[in-house]
Amino acid sequence: MDEKFDCIIVGAGVAGLSAAMMLARANMKFLLIEKGEFPGSKNVSGGVLWGNDLAKLVPNYWEEDAGWDRFINHRRLTFLDEESSFSIDFKSSHFNEAPYTGVVVLRSKFDRWLAEKVEEAIAESDFAMDSFIAPNILVEEILMEDGKAVGIRTGEEKFFADSIIIAEGVNNLLTRQVGLQDKYVPADHMLTGVKEIIRFDQNVLEDRFQLNGNSGMSNEFVGFATNGIEGGGFLYTNKDTISLGLVLGLKDLREKEQAPYDVLNHFKKHPVIADMIRGGEVVEYSAHIVSSGDKRVMPEKLYKAGLVICGEAANLLMNAGKAIQGMDYAMRSGILAAEAITKAKEKGDFGEEAMKAYQTALEDSYIMKDINNFQDAVHLLHDPVMTQKVPNLICDFGRNFFSINNEPTPKSRTMLRGAIKRHASYWELFKLGIKGGKAL
Amino acid sequence: MSTLLTYISVNEGKIKRSSLEVLSRCNELAAQHGLKSAALVIDADPTPAAVSLKQYGADEIYTIQNPIFKNHLNAPLLRALSTAVQQIKPHVVAFASTEGSKDILGALAANLEAASLADVSEFELTDSGVKAKRPVMASKIISAVQAEGTPVVLTVRSGSYDVVEMESAATVEAIPFEFGDDQLQITLKEIIGAAGDKIDLSEAETVIAAGRGVKDEEARKLVDELASVLNAAIGASRALTEAGVYDPSLQIGQTGKVVSPQLYIGIGISGAIQHVAGMANSKVIVAINKDPDAPIFEIADYGIVGDLYKILPPFIEELKKVKSN
Amino acid sequence: MKFYVCIKQVPDVNAPLQIKDGQLIQDADRNILNAYDASAVEEALVMKEAHGGEIEVVLIGPEKAKEAIRKALAMGADSGAHILTTGDENLDSYSYAKILANFFKDKEYNFILCGKQSQDTDAGLTGTMLAEMLSLPYATNAVGLEVSGENLVVKRQGDTGQELLEVPSPGLVTCSNDMNDPRIPNLKGIMQSKRKPVDTISIADLAGDVTGESVKTAVLSYEEKPARQAGKKYEGEPDEIARQVAQLLDTAENVI
Ligand SMILES: Cc1cc2nc3c(=O)[nH]c(=O)nc-3n(C[C@H](O)[C@H](O)[C@H](O)COP(=O)(O)OP(=O)(O)OC[C@H]3O[C@@H](n4cnc5c(N)ncnc54)[C@H](O)[C@@H]3O)c2cc1C
Ligand SMILES: Cc1cc2nc3c(=O)[nH]c(=O)nc-3n(C[C@H](O)[C@H](O)[C@H](O)COP(=O)(O)OP(=O)(O)OC[C@H]3O[C@@H](n4cnc5c(N)ncnc54)[C@H](O)[C@@H]3O)c2cc1C
Ligand SMILES: Nc1ncnc2c1ncn2[C@@H]1O[C@H](COP(=O)(O)O)[C@@H](O)[C@H]1O
Repeated sequence: MDEKFDCIIVGAGVAGLSAAMMLARANMKFLLIEKGEFPGSKNVSGGVLWGNDLAKLVPNYWEEDAGWDRFINHRRLTFLDEESSFSIDFKSSHFNEAPYTGVVVLRSKFDRWLAEKVEEAIAESDFAMDSFIAPNILVEEILMEDGKAVGIRTGEEKFFADSIIIAEGVNNLLTRQVGLQDKYVPADHMLTGVKEIIRFDQNVLEDRFQLNGNSGMSNEFVGFATNGIEGGGFLYTNKDTISLGLVLGLKDLREKEQAPYDVLNHFKKHPVIADMIRGGEVVEYSAHIVSSGDKRVMPEKLYKAGLVICGEAANLLMNAGKAIQGMDYAMRSGILAAEAITKAKEKGDFGEEAMKAYQTALEDSYIMKDINNFQDAVHLLHDPVMTQKVPNLICDFGRNFFSINNEPTPKSRTMLRGAIKRHASYWELFKLGIKGGKAL
Repeated sequence: MSTLLTYISVNEGKIKRSSLEVLSRCNELAAQHGLKSAALVIDADPTPAAVSLKQYGADEIYTIQNPIFKNHLNAPLLRALSTAVQQIKPHVVAFASTEGSKDILGALAANLEAASLADVSEFELTDSGVKAKRPVMASKIISAVQAEGTPVVLTVRSGSYDVVEMESAATVEAIPFEFGDDQLQITLKEIIGAAGDKIDLSEAETVIAAGRGVKDEEARKLVDELASVLNAAIGASRALTEAGVYDPSLQIGQTGKVVSPQLYIGIGISGAIQHVAGMANSKVIVAINKDPDAPIFEIADYGIVGDLYKILPPFIEELKKVKSN
Repeated sequence: MKFYVCIKQVPDVNAPLQIKDGQLIQDADRNILNAYDASAVEEALVMKEAHGGEIEVVLIGPEKAKEAIRKALAMGADSGAHILTTGDENLDSYSYAKILANFFKDKEYNFILCGKQSQDTDAGLTGTMLAEMLSLPYATNAVGLEVSGENLVVKRQGDTGQELLEVPSPGLVTCSNDMNDPRIPNLKGIMQSKRKPVDTISIADLAGDVTGESVKTAVLSYEEKPARQAGKKYEGEPDEIARQVAQLLDTAENVI
């Protein structure tokens, strides 16, 4: 069976599955290879899939109660100091209508469901018998010939294709092997995500977080959350569990000699968090490297002749405070990659120029526009002033603002000035203000 | 009056403790429900076992004798059981869960068109059958199950009930049984390595279990020494039975044996759920493992974090001291 | 030789589980080919590779259980039969055996291989029930298999030792997972499996009465197993730890 494929996709995460769906729809003959026992098996994580590209891949996905857990109509950004929380909270029925602009997914479920949808699309394509999703296979090498990608190797087996999509996720060994990512990526610009899935009785969960039917909430946290480590926290409501976790700077963890798990425990002990998770049972713990969204770690070039790189393998991710966007970037980049390859097939040319069309499309999309525009916000978020002083200040202000103690009440402006004085020099705040103003 | 029939498993003339556990439970249930409890020994020479059975309270004792039962073979055993059931017409046929009883349980149930429950940890009678509990999902979960009809055939996990001694006035009745060699379609060619005089793992009060951490001759010596100080049976994880280091009959776990000793000491065992499935009911669990995060520590009463080569020598010495006092 | 291997798809016991109102809920809905059946398939493949022959897998289960058939085909089995259920029939070992017995009634084969038990329920009944229903000679808990002319020589793990048995054809053997490490399908295997024939059979064709007479046992509910509390961890100086623990086992636990 030495037949040649139009495309081989490495990695059945969000990026690889999205690309596969587009290829199946475009009647391409392809092979999607996943090292996990099944798509999603290596992805214990989950989170919010932002945007509405999913509706492009699986039209009317919301009509079946599968794959995804809840849609987001309630968002909250919370600043924490040691004992308080101060939140910006937005909930709107505007978000209640499908297609939703954010759905919470648990990856082991979602990826498998999406893989089934891809199988269905394959079954309807001209290559029902010749396109495959192959789990439990590790791609060990991208085969190159004269600077062009021609196939893959797994163990002793070699398979050939006109094009390769690398969608291998953040541990991008193959991306390095083909020389598109520096062999050495400074850990300083990488983060680690730790997460627990905490289960509740569904009624308790829905009451506690004011959920209705399939509606859900996402909550980001800044401040005490990370015990002084740069990064932030998140909480998403799933069907009858929440995902609660932190994204932490690797460098800071190392320098402050803290283990991610301990920081998470610290976070969970915060009185405000403790109230949210009371009575819940931890059913899963996981830790995973995440890119920081810092352009300094991104490969500059995402293609070679016969090859493109998408999703987090290309470090496409942004964490600028108000949300982690990795899955939507993975999805869109997978779609764009498949589109470029479909065009290349039409023209019968998979050369470097044809593959470059992918990167051009990516540059024109919201992904690279946002990444470029919010670079400063990314740096800002990782500024110690932001992770410590600002939340303390905001909470201090909140404490004064909301205290009624039968004394004459000062003007809020005075309170704010007092809070600033106690927690940060005006100068630091001024600098941050300028940075922040520019960044957002 | 209906009967609860316990099959008594015999090894070289000796009754297995786990069978007596089942008999004791049947005695108790029979007394509660006004039924009879009967014990059945099927062996080449059932007499010694039948005699010693008189200390364990059965109302009736039956034997089936035939030289064919010298070795375990499923066809004659099945025929013998079916004959006995036709004569006694019991409400329940209960076995201790052993490889021997697992070998025929399903076939007996199919032969009698009876409901059957394997490996229960508790059981009681209902008006129309049996209600029981059995561990499932690699023993992470207990399922409550029900079997309808008469008889219900079931096997009981060792260690589920205590053995209660009680004089019985039962006389021994031999059930006639013929079996021609021509009925035996299967040929027994050889018996390999029956661990004769060693302490029976599933009945031992103290079990030392060796895992992949027990890498070499030196470690095995330490395990042997520990076992001899504590007069313990040695068991092993699949990692070591598979590697041929220990006899496969010594495997503890989902595929192997279930043990429920007073003291279990796991040495160099990580505590995979399939292993734990076979030892979680031990009274006291001691684990020696150099990895502080090994899952076995989640269930160990005494979790010793350290290298077995460094821990075992002083541990053996200390135990010797304790023993000699 | 013609081998049939009875395979089952079972929930992965390693996946997170919960019990809600007495029902077992598997959030991740992760299902796998029963490990014991995978070993049976592997053993059949080894025998086929050495002596030729044909391997067909048979599975009773819902639509999604087809994954398990695909897995066996990707390993190298030649064809499959899928006896399709809705998944809501609450079948027990007895009814599975009955359905299988009906399936095998008009089939020709040398040996039927089963797993020695299902990984999720550990029942270990279906194989020997099927043998009795089909009046086949059988051996259980095989840890080794070898072809000897028309017969199979089975190494069976007993309570104390092992027995070497010769089982004539047609016969049935239930397999332990201790006899081999099932191969992980390679890419070629996965690709070829798509073209291998899988016969889909309606359960109604094989068992009119499965939900009546032949379901003899029922699960009433599921319960958490009383959790064992982790005890104390001892770290540090070996001599000291050894002394402490030995003392406690004697005085506090009274187990030595
Ligand atoms: C704790 C945490 C929380 C997060 N929360 C969010 C969130 O709320 N919203 C959001 O949008 N993003 C979130 N992210 C980020 C998001 O998970 C990733 O950006 C996204 O998964 C990237 O998708 P991908 O398809 O590129 O890679 P992945 O999902 O990592 O998929 C890559 C796949 O390739 C396979 N693979 C790798 N190498 C090989 C090989 N050699 N051969 C075969 N297969 C291979 C892997 O097994 C894997 O299945 C979070 C991340 C973490 C760690
Ligand atoms: C269906 C199925 C059924 C199974 N049935 C069984 C069964 O019945 N019984 C069974 O045991 N397994 C069974 N298994 C296998 C099981 O999943 C595990 O693979 C097995 O139990 C692992 O054995 P282990 O703990 O010895 O080895 P490992 O998991 O490799 O653990 C070895 C441990 O030794 C420690 N160690 C190493 N060196 C030292 C040292 N010098 N000092 C101290 N500690 C050290 C290590 O830290 C490690 O934790 C089954 C699996 C499946 C899929
Ligand atoms: N639904 C099924 N389809 C095919 N074979 C089955 C099925 N259920 C059980 N078996 C066979 O019977 C063995 C286990 O029996 P049990 O432990 O009684 O469930 C499995 O290993 C299979 O070989």
